[in-house]
Amino acid sequence: MSPELRRRETVAGYLFLLPSLIFFVGFVVIPMVMCVVTSFFDATMDLNTPDKFIWFDNYIELWQDPVFLKGLTNTLIIVLVSVPFTCIFSLWVASAIYKMREGLLSFFRIVFYLPVVTGSVAVTVVWKWMYNNYYGIFNYVLKNTGIISKNINWLGNPQYALWCIILILLTTSVGQPIVLYVSALSNVDSSLVEAAEVDGATNTQVFWRIKWPQIMPTTLYILIITTINSFQCFALIQLLTSGGPNYATETVMYYIYYTAFKLYRFGYGNAMGVILAIFIGILSAVQFRLAREK
Amino acid sequence: MKKLLSIALALLMVLGLAAIAKPASADAEEITLWTYPIGNWGNEEAVKALTDAFTAETGIKVKVEYLTYTDGDDKVNTALTAKKAPDLIMEGPERLVSNWGAQGYMVNIADLFDDQDKAEINPAALAACFADDATAYEYPLCMTAHCMAINMTAVKEAGAEEFVNTDTHLWTTEQFFNTVKALAAKYGLVGGIYCSGQGGDQGTRALVNNLYGGTFTNAEHTAYTWDDPKNIQALKALYDLEGLDYDPSINGGEEIANFYNGIFKMAFCWNIGQQLNPNSAGTGAGKTANGEDIAFMAFPSEDGNAVLQGGIWGFGIFNNGDDARIEAAKKFILYMADSEHTVDAVRASNYFAARSAVAGNELDIWAGNEIMAEYNKLMPFLGDYYQVTKGWAPARTAWWNMLQQVGASDGSEAAIAAAVADYCAQANEGAK
Repeated sequence: MSPELRRRETVAGYLFLLPSLIFFVGFVVIPMVMCVVTSFFDATMDLNTPDKFIWFDNYIELWQDPVFLKGLTNTLIIVLVSVPFTCIFSLWVASAIYKMREGLLSFFRIVFYLPVVTGSVAVTVVWKWMYNNYYGIFNYVLKNTGIISKNINWLGNPQYALWCIILILLTTSVGQPIVLYVSALSNVDSSLVEAAEVDGATNTQVFWRIKWPQIMPTTLYILIITTINSFQCFALIQLLTSGGPNYATETVMYYIYYTAFKLYRFGYGNAMGVILAIFIGILSAVQFRLAREK
Repeated sequence: MKKLLSIALALLMVLGLAAIAKPASADAEEITLWTYPIGNWGNEEAVKALTDAFTAETGIKVKVEYLTYTDGDDKVNTALTAKKAPDLIMEGPERLVSNWGAQGYMVNIADLFDDQDKAEINPAALAACFADDATAYEYPLCMTAHCMAINMTAVKEAGAEEFVNTDTHLWTTEQFFNTVKALAAKYGLVGGIYCSGQGGDQGTRALVNNLYGGTFTNAEHTAYTWDDPKNIQALKALYDLEGLDYDPSINGGEEIANFYNGIFKMAFCWNIGQQLNPNSAGTGAGKTANGEDIAFMAFPSEDGNAVLQGGIWGFGIFNNGDDARIEAAKKFILYMADSEHTVDAVRASNYFAARSAVAGNELDIWAGNEIMAEYNKLMPFLGDYYQVTKGWAPARTAWWNMLQQVGASDGSEAAIAAAVADYCAQANEGAK
């Protein structure tokens, strides 16, 4: 290829990239930069008070803010529970169904994927009804089977509320990993599996020695995506509990929203956003590192 | 050819973006109105009839967007920060005056109030629309008093009729407690002190403040005063009352739904709009889902004279820097709230007019409507419009968080007092 042709193709390539690049820069890069910059300001909506540069005051305040610390703790609990559970459960389900005949496999795929494609608001409304203190199905069943004698206020009791949220999160999180694992397991080189079996390897050995290394990239992807989704848990909180009762379901994402859009403290909210991004970045890097070592 | 095509495509996309970023400046022949669901001002058909009439008379078109209380504030704030605010907004002084007005986003419309207007507009509504003597950010259209409701059929079945006066709609704290006790003895569950969020919090505020004469703010609207012992006494009494629980899993709207469906026998989030159309279900005025009678009542107080929380709604203008559009928006306000068309505009709200007359002509908006005439008995009990106190948004959040804390406490006076003191202090931080 002549240099002139290569130059023309390169220019054409960049020009084709330009529209999406403009969107990416305009709606991702610039807001990210503005988020970091604003986090150093006492930025509010007030036009009468100019934003003041306050160095790291927002970041210092964060670590003295009990609501933020509670939100961070709750977020970490959500991540620590939902990420391993989602990965293990979806791998288990995928292992059980991936060899099934096509019709049955499709049925299970649909069953587990349905909550993913159903609107989060619709899913949440149904769960809210099931958890309802007065006429919810959980209380109805538990009372009629004699397990409880008095209705439990699932979402109104600090003891249960966060676990109720996690349960919903799990049901909506496993669909995509199951589909991905089914696909990854189906693509495992069958000749290697057969060779191992001929050599007398047990099912467990086949799984850990042959299949697991081959589905590791999928596992890594699922781990990172699930971690990010768990850190960003927002809609469920917004629709079900508003962070209550007594901050029992407060998460960092919800507190960012509340601080920025209810209290109009944009600088403080952005500082939280930066911290959250750092947490997600560190965890993702650790996951990458561990997976690479494996 | 490929290069040309790619350049053309890229240019098209960039131009498209530019078009999104900066819409063609509309002239004053069209203005935009964003309205919260204030009665039928949230109903497209009703509003269209009003705006069409305005367009026919003035030639100014009105593009309306309907907001909800769930995400309306977020939409407006996003529009403000993006400099895409509507010309007109319809809501109450707590948003228009204390929030967006105080932050410099609204146009001062004090010039719309002449002396006759000031004489005709309800003094409480007028005061709430002014930030100071010379600055107004809202022109009031309608108002009402918030109240509570009881399932009258259930009250009769529980034998508690003697405690309820459906003629005056007033009752004492003792009568209220006796009614709750009777209902609890008959049904177990009577109602809930809802506190999952700020939706409908005017009801819980009014209930707590009225029971023993507590206040929410000082008279100057400079500080939150809900840590006074009378409120603590009320919160403790409610905690101890069988049949009523502090419920952090529901908000005002959900309380209304529970009441309408017969689960609750009392609702604290009520007003004339609900009385006319309970739960917005369209199943008949003053009736629950299964046809039981609903009676509206003032909040109970020791002497039986309630201090009710008011709702005032009207129009404000966002300052978009276009004088022609501001003038057009002012025309719209005067057309709706200060002309012979005010009758229709108020009627659409399902509330009462914020003024007694227009240009000297008495307003008789609800003549012949029995329910409105009955509800009008509560209007003299309208109390101070304290929602204009600085830091209102964080104070509301502190309030429902405080209720959650009280509900989760052991119910001792010390624990309740500690929760109240803590959250009231938080509210006062925002008032500084």
